[in-house]
Amino acid sequence: MSQEKKYGMLIEQSRCINCKACMIACQAENNVPLHKHRNWIDESEVRGTYPNLGIDFTPNQCNHCDNPHCERVCPTGATFVNDDGIVLIDYNKCIGCRFCMMACPYDARYVDKERGIVDKCTYCTQRIYQGREPACLETCPGKVRTFGDLNDPKSEISLKIATHRTEVKYPETGTKPRIYYIID
Amino acid sequence: MKYEFGRRSFMKLGSCSVVGAIIGSQFKFASAFAETDIKDLPDNFSGDIRTHCGLCVNKCGMIARVNNGVIRKLDPIADHPKSKGMLCAKGNAGIQTVYDPDRLKYPMIRVGKRGEGKWRRATWDEALTYIADKLTEIKEKHGPEAVLFSSTEGFQEEYFLRLAEAFGSPNTVRHPTLCLASVNNAMFNTFGTVPHFDLKHADYVIFAGSNRLESLLTPDTVDMIEGKASGHYHVVLDPRFTVTASKANLWVPIKPGTDLAFALALIHMMIKENKYDKVFVEKYTHGFDKLAEHVKQYTPEWAAYETGIPVETIYKVGKDFMSSLPRSVFYSGRRGSWTENDTQFRRAIAIVNAISGAWDREGGVAPARKIGLGEMLIFPPDEPEAERIDNVKNEFPLANRRDGVYMTLREHALKEDPYPLKAWMIYKQNPLQSVPNSQKTYEMMKKMELIVSIDIIPNDTAWESDVMLPEATYLERTDPLHSLGGLEPAVALRQKVIEPMYETRPNLEIMKHLASKLDLGEYFDFTIEEWLEAQVEELPIDLDELKRRGFYADDKGKVFGKTLKEGYRFRTKTGKIELFSERYAEKGYDPLPIYKRPKNIPSGSYILLTARCANYTHSSLQNNEWLMAVGMHAMAHVNPIAAEKHGIVQGEIVILRSPYGEVELPVYITDRVHADVICMPHGFGHTSKGLSIAYNKGARGSDLLGSYYDKITGNAAMHEDFVQIIPKRTLHTEDVQGDRRKSRVKSGGITG
Repeated sequence: MSQEKKYGMLIEQSRCINCKACMIACQAENNVPLHKHRNWIDESEVRGTYPNLGIDFTPNQCNHCDNPHCERVCPTGATFVNDDGIVLIDYNKCIGCRFCMMACPYDARYVDKERGIVDKCTYCTQRIYQGREPACLETCPGKVRTFGDLNDPKSEISLKIATHRTEVKYPETGTKPRIYYIID
Repeated sequence: MKYEFGRRSFMKLGSCSVVGAIIGSQFKFASAFAETDIKDLPDNFSGDIRTHCGLCVNKCGMIARVNNGVIRKLDPIADHPKSKGMLCAKGNAGIQTVYDPDRLKYPMIRVGKRGEGKWRRATWDEALTYIADKLTEIKEKHGPEAVLFSSTEGFQEEYFLRLAEAFGSPNTVRHPTLCLASVNNAMFNTFGTVPHFDLKHADYVIFAGSNRLESLLTPDTVDMIEGKASGHYHVVLDPRFTVTASKANLWVPIKPGTDLAFALALIHMMIKENKYDKVFVEKYTHGFDKLAEHVKQYTPEWAAYETGIPVETIYKVGKDFMSSLPRSVFYSGRRGSWTENDTQFRRAIAIVNAISGAWDREGGVAPARKIGLGEMLIFPPDEPEAERIDNVKNEFPLANRRDGVYMTLREHALKEDPYPLKAWMIYKQNPLQSVPNSQKTYEMMKKMELIVSIDIIPNDTAWESDVMLPEATYLERTDPLHSLGGLEPAVALRQKVIEPMYETRPNLEIMKHLASKLDLGEYFDFTIEEWLEAQVEELPIDLDELKRRGFYADDKGKVFGKTLKEGYRFRTKTGKIELFSERYAEKGYDPLPIYKRPKNIPSGSYILLTARCANYTHSSLQNNEWLMAVGMHAMAHVNPIAAEKHGIVQGEIVILRSPYGEVELPVYITDRVHADVICMPHGFGHTSKGLSIAYNKGARGSDLLGSYYDKITGNAAMHEDFVQIIPKRTLHTEDVQGDRRKSRVKSGGITG
């Protein structure tokens, strides 16, 4: 009996050129309403003094936490953690109350007004269960993201995490996020 | 296809098929009209089709996922040699371009005044008869040369140019003189070819103003990111702190228009310190002694004064560049000219790469390979009798004649020198946005009795035309094969993934139909299927296999060293790489690049720079709502020093005024631009009310730019203009951010 999978993502920000291909790919793939996005790129303020300037671009999306606050606050049990570690929403149970949006420290959720629900990144389950890559990853010119099984020590993502210094966002909130960022 | 064929038009069609008077050929000709050339896709087609993107010049490979006749998703082809498995935001948003409600759906004929926006829907037959009658009338009165055909590159552009030829007009004008004519000319007259850069393997790369991470070019953008991640050193000279600069190891802010001084100083250092490749220079190049003598005057100290770069930085870049040789390159860039001396600047870049020993090696600069295609043998039209109106032959003897020179052509047209232009056929182009000095373009339009725009959306120019003809988009038509040159070449097939929507048609069908109305049908007696069959003949795979794969690439990969073999003759006058250009000397241009100091900036004025953004292709795609939601907003980027001088605060609306016009824009105060410049994004401020999203957002750069051009190629020089900045004392209140989610996309910081 093989061990259960736990999907995670590694983001190499230094490769991100803020071209927003991932945002549009996700929008198309997941029918995300206009002006809403499941992933986005934070652009830092310009730092340093002229001419030694710097700027960072940070891709963001749902962190698929091990201990997700969104799951705990959900009054209907719509949000759940799948066996493979992906945090998903049962759209039939979701009543669109937005408690989860308040609870999420990453601000990763949005309201889909048309469907009356709250939605977010699913790692493109419709693609990954068919052996394809998430849309954001596949389309990226810089191949910023690595996606894979964190429980498999030989997977590309595990090897990269083992060989690079990484960090997660807001670990202090106790969510145990599963998106890792490489620190330069 | 649904062509409205009356009996009369059918008769006319039959009679114009002059090539063979036998009835069989007439029927063949007629049947080519009666249905689409390529097999129709069923309305409820579901499946994956491999094709190529058409939203910019790159032609990235992609897979269209079609479900029940609707395009659901566009995914990149992972192993495509050009796009390397990427598809940018534009490519992904292609779905929105196809399903844009603002699209041109039917042929439209103007009923109100020009630009008033009053149109009536017409049938194809009616619209094309209207155009053909008018063109025939003009041809009879003024000769065929009175009709101007302007177009932008695309897989079906050649049919448009063919119509111009068949019609008998020498006056075609294409986009290169608004684009890369100066780079191409400089490279060609040095190496005899326009080379590509192996950015994936070059250890040290200098980019001068080339913003490859925002002005995406495959495979260079991908190679650059890979190269950088594997530890290569990148230097960016740019008055703006672009994304490319932010990712580089060193950003060197430079005074606009002085890049040539830097390049000359680099050559000076390489020769003075004996770091150039002597064996290579001896064997493969021409005119080194003259070059060495010429650059003696261009010391790093002199360059520091001219460029505003600290002299230590110049020495440091020079030293590092030389120590990484031969895997150091000076990237040539490819966008429109900056100054009137632009070709000479690109020549200096070519010379750096010629003496460095990086030529035709891995990690260097190498000639592109191209996979040969078969050719459809078609009836060649006669040479036009009249001379070109822009007199390229004499005014720009080294420029490409068929491409024409936009800037001077307009001058000739305005002066009717030596003859008037009376009609303007426009394919896939928006001159009001893309040609500097829009006032003159408006004036030129006033001279026209007929303006016809063939496009997919009612862009600014189409809106001012007399007839708009709706073309099918790149996802709705099958195009001729295209051989994509590069270090890893490919043959690209673009095939339709859905049937043309509304009454739109592929350009070939529009041209065929119009040609038949002009009694020129014999020049278009072929179908796209026949064309493809003829092209594919030279390939080792057949058309069906090509349709499955979407592209063809040989397995040779990058091949270097072909031009270094014994006996190879470079396609230049001397058969060698020309450091000293004999052709330039012969035509009276400076055979070695001579620095010309840019004009002094008048006090209180700034150099106007225009910028690109990775989310739009020049002035197109601003009407794509997905892209508009994430892309940059049109703002004037101003350095804090300049802002303080004028008392301007963040977000304030200002007037930018040049001698040619004025526009209003909100201000974004940032360290990311040089204190001498004001930068605005290109492609905003659309005046067409037919574009419900892009209309009246931001401002149009062509309203401010004057008519400057490079002296060798005629390429429009876009950084020769000065603007004044006048605060309006009102704050920018328009809610550019929209809802909360959208606020994550910061508006100002992107420089384009």
